[in-house]
Amino acid sequence: ILPMANERLRVLEEIEKEIAAILQNAGSVTSELSKEKPNERLLDRQASQFTASVQKVESELSNQIRYLTQVATGQPHEGSSYSARKDCQMALHRVDHARRKLGELARTCEQMLEPQ
Amino acid sequence: MSQQRVLPQSKETLLQSYNKRLKDDIKSVMDNFTEIIKTAKIEEETQVSRATQSEQDHYEMHVRAANIVRAGESLMKLVSDLKQFLILNDFPSVNESINQNNQQLHSLQEECDKKLIALRDEIAIDLYELEEEYYSSSLCDTGDLPLCEVYWNQDSLGSPEGISTPPAPRMAEPMGTGAETSTPSHPHVNGQGAAPTEHA
Repeated sequence: ILPMANERLRVLEEIEKEIAAILQNAGSVTSELSKEKPNERLLDRQASQFTASVQKVESELSNQIRYLTQVATGQPHEGSSYSARKDCQMALHRVDHARRKLGELARTCEQMLEPQ
Repeated sequence: MSQQRVLPQSKETLLQSYNKRLKDDIKSVMDNFTEIIKTAKIEEETQVSRATQSEQDHYEMHVRAANIVRAGESLMKLVSDLKQFLILNDFPSVNESINQNNQQLHSLQEECDKKLIALRDEIAIDLYELEEEYYSSSLCDTGDLPLCEVYWNQDSLGSPEGISTPPAPRMAEPMGTGAETSTPSHPHVNGQGAAPTEHA
């Protein structure tokens, strides 16, 4: 059970997609330039998209780094969810044990009913 | 609070290196891109022949494109390093996710136990009837009877309604694990049959 509830991790995922988009954009700009008659408006739009993406990536990443400098200490984190997990595991064992015993009881009752 | 500012040397340099990488890579991407676009300009006069100039331009564009790709990949690596650092060191979110996990596990455990208790209450009633049937049938041998005698002794002492419920949980509890199977549990029954007879 480890859902990605973390906002920052999600933002970092988006940044990764943005970087890939940047590279793709650059590629499309150059291929557009290489044509015989490049479409100027398209070029302008793509080029401005490119610069916008690059700046966005830069600002987001420096935000993340700044947040990290504020938050990080040197100590390792020592919390864990082990005790809750162990309790839950024991509860599941109890349920399983009860189920098995009930199964035996049912089988015994059925056996008793058969010869009659 | 002042302790928070004093990061160990390695963490401080690590974060500074992240910043440096970020700046370098972004600069590389922008510069190489602008250079490519500049080189795409068609010039008429050249010092060397057309073929050489175009060959040179071709090679230069190759190199700049490769630079852009390298910078992009290095940015990706930076992002993944940041993610790793975040998971390990971002205490607020680590605490929150630990709490969330604890809550989920705790509620699951509560639900299991609640259902088990409800099950126990239901089965206690059925077990009472089963045991009555068992002890009044020809299947049990004389060794088992002491427990039943206690039962029926108490029955004859008080009213049947009032007595039927208390013995059922009392009997279900000590024999809960042992009495479901008929034959293997005889030692259990005999062993625990001794105790109630003492009280009686």
